[in-house]
Amino acid sequence: MKKKTIGILVVLALVAVIFAGCAQGAPQAPAQPATPAGDAGAAPDAGAPAAEGGNVRIAVAAPLTGDNAEYGQGFLNAARLQAEHRNAAGGVLGGRQVEIVPFDDANSSEEAASIALRIASDGDFAGVIGHFSSGVAMTAAPTYNENQIINISPSAGHVDFSGIGEFIFRNNTVVVVEAGAILDIAVTDLGHTRIGILSIMTDWGVSTSDVIMNLVDALPGVEVVAHEEVMEGSPDFSPAITAFEAADVDVVISVSQYSTLAPFAIQYRTINPEVDILGFSNAYTRNLIDIGGESVERVRFPVSFFADSPDPVIQAFVSEYIAANGYSPSALTAQAFDAVGILLDAIDAAGTTEGEPVRQMLHEISHNGVAGVVSFDAGGDVMRDFFRVVIQDGEFRLTN
Amino acid sequence: MVVFIQQFINGLAIGMAYSLIAVGFSLVFGILRLVNFAHGAVYAFGAQFALVIFVGMQISIALAILLAMVAAGLLGVIIDKTALEPLRKKKSMPIANLITTIGISHILVNLMTIYFGSQTRGFPALFSFGMIEVAGVRVDSNQLMLCLVALILMGVLTIVVQKSKIGLAIRATEQNTKAASLMGINVNFVISFVFFLAGASAAIAGGLIASHYRIVFPAMGFDAGLKAFSAAVLGGIGSLPGSIIGGLIVGVSESMAANFLGSAYRDSVAFVILILVLIIRPTGLFGKKAIMKV
Repeated sequence: MKKKTIGILVVLALVAVIFAGCAQGAPQAPAQPATPAGDAGAAPDAGAPAAEGGNVRIAVAAPLTGDNAEYGQGFLNAARLQAEHRNAAGGVLGGRQVEIVPFDDANSSEEAASIALRIASDGDFAGVIGHFSSGVAMTAAPTYNENQIINISPSAGHVDFSGIGEFIFRNNTVVVVEAGAILDIAVTDLGHTRIGILSIMTDWGVSTSDVIMNLVDALPGVEVVAHEEVMEGSPDFSPAITAFEAADVDVVISVSQYSTLAPFAIQYRTINPEVDILGFSNAYTRNLIDIGGESVERVRFPVSFFADSPDPVIQAFVSEYIAANGYSPSALTAQAFDAVGILLDAIDAAGTTEGEPVRQMLHEISHNGVAGVVSFDAGGDVMRDFFRVVIQDGEFRLTN
Repeated sequence: MVVFIQQFINGLAIGMAYSLIAVGFSLVFGILRLVNFAHGAVYAFGAQFALVIFVGMQISIALAILLAMVAAGLLGVIIDKTALEPLRKKKSMPIANLITTIGISHILVNLMTIYFGSQTRGFPALFSFGMIEVAGVRVDSNQLMLCLVALILMGVLTIVVQKSKIGLAIRATEQNTKAASLMGINVNFVISFVFFLAGASAAIAGGLIASHYRIVFPAMGFDAGLKAFSAAVLGGIGSLPGSIIGGLIVGVSESMAANFLGSAYRDSVAFVILILVLIIRPTGLFGKKAIMKV
């Protein structure tokens, strides 16, 4: 009997711990800005000048654990850095502090859907930065849109993402533009005509390889001679490489993250050291060189953000980011930083955190960010120029 | 034709990697009739641990893998002692053990993510003698060494199980736990020993496969574990030669599917073959009919 009581107590304690854990990610006691009806019950942070309403709360919903945690952590670090900047400069809306609230979706659509519902039912968020993968972001986006919550994804590249609704924005170029830039590197810069595509089997991977094939159809004399699809996380590419070699490709465009691109390059370059490999900007991270070593030499990418750029604004951001986190920011991290930046600008300009006026303001303003100028078109997409980067002697270097 | 042979050889190398992992499933299943789904996580742990001490202690990668074998073996024993043995003592349903191993696998992968980070990291190459080319067909020396070590490992394990005294105890426990313990066999020690062997073989697999593909990441055991499990079932789970043959069939069918149907079909074909074999031979290729114990 006694054992049973102890057992029940242990279970209760565990349940309590679990709920306590949830509470960290979940909205805490309503400090209530978003709805003007609510009156500031709790005092804002000490030190912050007293202003109407509490903190301006922005949710960062991204994979903070699991396989893609490094990207989500990057979003969160970037958002916090941007919030620190604003708070140091006196906050937004005449002195209200910016508060970043993290939500971990573990890059799973199920988690993302429930996070979106939690954020919506809380009713107290001025916006959501995130969801990392297109597929995951597209599960959560309809909920944000229905509830008039601004959602800016720093990474979703899927063609259909921003079309989900007028409250859905992305601070990442639509994949068509990036694919165009990559093909231009392949055809104009390198003079190749026989193209192979290696793509991962995700929403983004499948739609992006379709986009590339459509773009190639319009290019005279250029053709896709092999298209190989692989599962993310399975490290053997030998069947794909044999197929590329049999098709006699000049260049392989890798539609994948660095974790696929690096081992692919190692395996391919052992067999054929001459082949050219191109990557998308989400593979542009220091890890790629650390893993790939000599095998990723001459790999090229179009990137929106180049950490070694001499631009003083970028250098300031990079050194501050390294000081806070110990490693260099990636392109997506920079895009997350700018996404928070333009959202706060829009809130300031609209004079409110309410969804509709901020949404209109987002279309009107532009924001000078670290990854170029952010300005949304009518569809909620951004346009930007790409740097062309090549790996040489174990370093990323500009080619243009 | 050259492409076909090349794909066949690619498939053999992939298959050998699966059989290395499949052995661990077979060992534990043989003695406990339990599918140890935590095996994939132990495999990932072996590779991660080898990398961490290789970097941290500045020792050679071969030595690091040897140390990782011990660590992963001990991890296997700890898993059994803390999570599975209490369930056996309570005579709980087999499904409870199965679910427990799935739970442990998630716990291990998440702990690895917390301590080692979720990013994919580079792993040093163990052997690098370059490529061997015969009549247009290329074989990587790493692939050859992978096959060689896998065969040696199988040989050693077979000798341990068939010829040694502890092997006799393992086989006795496999046939009838109660009778074995009445004959003076320390059944709990035998089970721990099997978990140690399975863990150590997982670390060898982890080290070899990681050094072949030159990457490690915490979730690496998930897909590989699933394929290895189906390889073990295909070959007849519980049988050591069965896991080699099963692994090779899964590997070759994968690369053949990639060759003839397109690489998008690669992963499903292995499982289609698994289902077909199980319909025709429910115990797998080398499996023995399960004897109902009364």
